[in-house]
Amino acid sequence: MKYSYIKPRKKSIFSAELKLVLTFFSITIFMLLGTYTFLLYKDYKFIEDRADIVQQRYDLNISLTQMKEEIEFIEKQNLLSQKIYTQNSVLKESMRNLFDLVPQRITLSEALLLDNGLILYGITPNKDVYNFMLQAPLRSIFHKTYSSFYPDKNGWLRFVSTNYIEEREDEN
Amino acid sequence: MKINISRPNIYLLILSIFLLIFVFVFSFAVLIPEGKEYRKQRSELKKERRAALRYQNFNNETSELLKTLKSDNREVLTAFERAFNEKRFQKQHSNYFSSLSISKESSAIVDDEFSIYEVNTTSQISSPQSFYDFLDALNKSDWIISVNFPINFKRDGELIKSTFTMKVYATLKDSNSTK
Repeated sequence: MKYSYIKPRKKSIFSAELKLVLTFFSITIFMLLGTYTFLLYKDYKFIEDRADIVQQRYDLNISLTQMKEEIEFIEKQNLLSQKIYTQNSVLKESMRNLFDLVPQRITLSEALLLDNGLILYGITPNKDVYNFMLQAPLRSIFHKTYSSFYPDKNGWLRFVSTNYIEEREDEN
Repeated sequence: MKINISRPNIYLLILSIFLLIFVFVFSFAVLIPEGKEYRKQRSELKKERRAALRYQNFNNETSELLKTLKSDNREVLTAFERAFNEKRFQKQHSNYFSSLSISKESSAIVDDEFSIYEVNTTSQISSPQSFYDFLDALNKSDWIISVNFPINFKRDGELIKSTFTMKVYATLKDSNSTK
């Protein structure tokens, strides 16, 4: 019978080859799973970021709509104010031109400016002065002109001149 | 010839093959599709970011335009927002008239965005020039006011009595508060 003189080693299930294989595959699987987790996380982040961007665009869209409405309203106000300022200036010039039309020899006692016409009350020395110096220019401005006279105390004539424009494009 | 492979080595080989198959299957069935998905999502996010940036720039430009408009038209906007004050109006414009009285009509004409007050005005002026100056002053006044027909001028001794209506325009928000 033969006896061994070496001390018996403890036998382990994890042999050197198995450890090597397991180490190799552990590292490989760890890297694969790590990469997979990273990709999953990034995908989740991308989806989250896209949702944020969509929300941001929605908020911007609301703000943009409000700003556009505000711009539109300011432009409307500006346009209206310009229209009114122009209207006032045109009125001033029209009145200046109208009163400049009245000659020195004719005295006005009342002037009524209407939307589409003008009624003048006044005194004239005679019909000719009125016809040539006031009615003629009025006729060139207005489409319809009517005049009526009645005598005043000092021999002069009181007149009423009614003048109308048939169409008015610009309405208030 | 007989190949002598020990049993532990056979187990090791089987384990290795099994793990190798797992690695391949995992890589091709899970990891690569996920990688493709990652690239797709990244590309879409980039597109979204570019679009959002353009949108943001457009928003900034619009905001700048609004600021410029507001600062350029500050006086007009303030005039539209200011409530009409009869006493203040009389104080500001009384120097154009020998006498000036105004009465605000109770009802305001309201359109979609503006309220319009009609104000009846009776005044006495020394010459038409005073009225022209008044019209000039109206365009620089604290309110948006238009003079409307009919306008009546009647000789009253040395003065001219004038009667006319004015329309005071205000934005609707303020018109509610001044009612």
